[in-house]
Amino acid sequence: MNLKSLFKTLIFTVLIVCCYSVTAQNSGLVQDSENQPIENVSVFIADQSILLKTNKLGEFFFDGKLPDNTYLNFYKNGYVSKLVKYKEGIEFVVFLKKLHVALDEVGVVESYSDLGNTKLTNIDKKSLENVFLRDNSMVESITQLSGVDIVSSGLGIQKVVVRGLSGMRVVTYLNGMQINNQQWANDHGIGFTDLGLGEVELIKGSSALKYGSEAIGGLLFFKDSPFTSNKKMNGYIASKFDNSSFLSSSQFGLNWKKNNFFFNLYGQYSISSDYRLPNNDYLFNSRFNQNAIKFSIAYRHKNLQNIFRYQYHYENPGIPAHAHVDPANIKIEDITSSSFDFNDAYKLLTPYQLVNNQLFNYNLNYLSNNLKLSLHLGHFINNLKEHEKWTRPAFNLTISNTQITPNIRYKIKDLTFNLGSQLSVLDNKNNEDERLVPDASTLNVGPYVILDYEKNNFGFNSGIRYDCKHLKSEDNISNVNYDNEFSNTSFSSGIYYKFLDNILRFTYSGSYRAPHFSELFSNGVHHGTNRFEVGNENLDIEYADQFELKYQWANEHFGFVINPFLQNISDFISIVPSDTFIDSYRVYNYKQYNNVEIKGVEMNLHYHPHQLHNLHIEQSYTFLQTKNKDDQYGLALVPANSVRTKILFDLNDYERLVKYKFDYLSFYHVYKFSQEDFAEYEELTESYSLINFQMGLKLRDKLLCTIGINNLLNKEYTPHTSRIRGVAGGVPNPGRSFNINLKYEF
Amino acid sequence: MKNFSLLSVLMIAVFGFMTSCSSSSDDCHECHIAYMNAAGAEVEVEIGEFCGDELADVETPGYAHTIDETIVGNDTVPAGTYTDIHCEEHADHD
Repeated sequence: MNLKSLFKTLIFTVLIVCCYSVTAQNSGLVQDSENQPIENVSVFIADQSILLKTNKLGEFFFDGKLPDNTYLNFYKNGYVSKLVKYKEGIEFVVFLKKLHVALDEVGVVESYSDLGNTKLTNIDKKSLENVFLRDNSMVESITQLSGVDIVSSGLGIQKVVVRGLSGMRVVTYLNGMQINNQQWANDHGIGFTDLGLGEVELIKGSSALKYGSEAIGGLLFFKDSPFTSNKKMNGYIASKFDNSSFLSSSQFGLNWKKNNFFFNLYGQYSISSDYRLPNNDYLFNSRFNQNAIKFSIAYRHKNLQNIFRYQYHYENPGIPAHAHVDPANIKIEDITSSSFDFNDAYKLLTPYQLVNNQLFNYNLNYLSNNLKLSLHLGHFINNLKEHEKWTRPAFNLTISNTQITPNIRYKIKDLTFNLGSQLSVLDNKNNEDERLVPDASTLNVGPYVILDYEKNNFGFNSGIRYDCKHLKSEDNISNVNYDNEFSNTSFSSGIYYKFLDNILRFTYSGSYRAPHFSELFSNGVHHGTNRFEVGNENLDIEYADQFELKYQWANEHFGFVINPFLQNISDFISIVPSDTFIDSYRVYNYKQYNNVEIKGVEMNLHYHPHQLHNLHIEQSYTFLQTKNKDDQYGLALVPANSVRTKILFDLNDYERLVKYKFDYLSFYHVYKFSQEDFAEYEELTESYSLINFQMGLKLRDKLLCTIGINNLLNKEYTPHTSRIRGVAGGVPNPGRSFNINLKYEF
Repeated sequence: MKNFSLLSVLMIAVFGFMTSCSSSSDDCHECHIAYMNAAGAEVEVEIGEFCGDELADVETPGYAHTIDETIVGNDTVPAGTYTDIHCEEHADHD
């Protein structure tokens, strides 16, 4: 063999190796059941938060080698999503089955979840990618999930209720960091918007072991949109307008990749005036404004991945329905305006809140075939000022929270172990002498171990967590000197069985919640709630046990989910009114009830007529019953039972309509039953129906538009969980309003 | 390069909109005594417009304003010294 032929052989060998590495190790193929390639399938490399798309040939390519057992989630509208473990050296072809019933939001199909194995744990998911375009707000969008409701006073202040529990009992995480933003009060909103978010995962009840014992009501885990592996910069700009409050909101997003670096950048600006009631009056001071900016950078090298995220959120919500007398005694005319003046419509008025949130997140992941080591470091700073007066705040609080979470995930055949710990240091500091809650700090350490077993159609999981929380408060101004430790064990166990198209899951879990410093030491007027709140230093841990069953069945045209549950909470901490008044505000005291029972059933139906595959009918039912065994009155802020129906008519099959840019029509109907079970300071809430309509337009390939009407029948209603239900007999939610939203993707 | 030019423009735009809308309020505000009548309803007695340090004084706890003569109207507000003073706006209803 001469040198020339040796050189040729060498080149040929290198080419073969290259081709092999491209086709067999750095790429894959997605096909339907008839072996036809599927274009534009999302391929989500879950452990690295990277999103790929298949090309016209159904192929996708990734940089470098993927470790064995890396989770890849394949999904596309109209197909059954699939979660696949990557194996090196095996031809990587994934088949997706056509599906007309899209049930991803109720957990029937396979998907990757940060909160645990979706088969073994009852996890609900909701995509947030098009919330800005299709929904009023992120929180309102989440309430489309059964068992979820909202505490609000317009769009400015909104927070989530899960199975009748809210506040400290519903824990919120954003990209792995717990959000502590004085969430004990209903007038303190969720603290961020849908900006740059891709998905929210929800565990209802007390089974959220890995992310803390205190989520007795539930755990919301918000995740950023994944990084894209597109070398060309892409992104979007979007804008929305609603004529109820003359809301104007704009967002932009940018994603790109350079070598091993991945970048995401987002920004938002929103401004809103007072919202209009069905009688055309305006709820005075329900106005707000919000700004946010966030970016994420990821760097991947071999098996190591670093992700850094930063987010800044600023908002000024007005506090509507404010009064200096008992809210029940004021008239609706005193808190509403009959006219609207654009010159003053967006002007800041007292009382208002000034909220500054900064979130730093760092993730380090090391991936090998059966092992994933991860370390999360997070730091969250929340500054909340509540101004009743112009020149000084009624209170000015800064919470600074640092969290460290190391985790080891190790797989042995069908077993997966998660071993980790969560260390959290929180400091609450008053920046003014006037204070409602004192300076306080907590240190929480929570090691845990979770075992998952999954083989064929059977699986189980079991986990245990021990938390030790040290709470300290030395505040001479508030006259508080407190030092205490709360510790206990939480656990969760579940089994899963699949037979043909039937899936059955049973979970039993137990958790506890230590009293919060607001419950222990509050002492003063809270203008956001029109109350004088008094804490109780004798409060102790509250405990919860929950049984849950979930049965699911789905075929090509019909899907069905039923989810009964029973939760028992002992030593339930609650705030109750007294007959005493201080400075014309009614005094509310914290106390503990021996036993509270929460039970209910959630159901979901999804139907596609065989003759009309482009018609989607979804219905969800939520029935909830709470019982305070120590009191004749019920619990506060428990949502009424509801039936939600969504009809979506996809118009893309009709060429004539497509020619005129029509994309879809959507009707959303909510029926709320009357709420006859209420707390001492609440009253009965009548039943009501609400209809929203939306039309989607595809003006160009990448220019989307929605035109909608909310509260089509201009119904006057006040939800039982409205923050201002108790003011003036109930301040109604917005009347009929029109909105137009635009999104351009590039 | 084109990407980074676009990014720069966007960053400037972002900075623009984040800083252009000031949330600061006017420095002067109308203040009133919040007098509770026999029915427990609030009656507003205007005491004038206050700015800057004067506004801060009026909003200081313990600040007292004296009404020299009894005000007779729909609600009678007796002469005297009042400490419950607010400088917030209220809804305007016809």
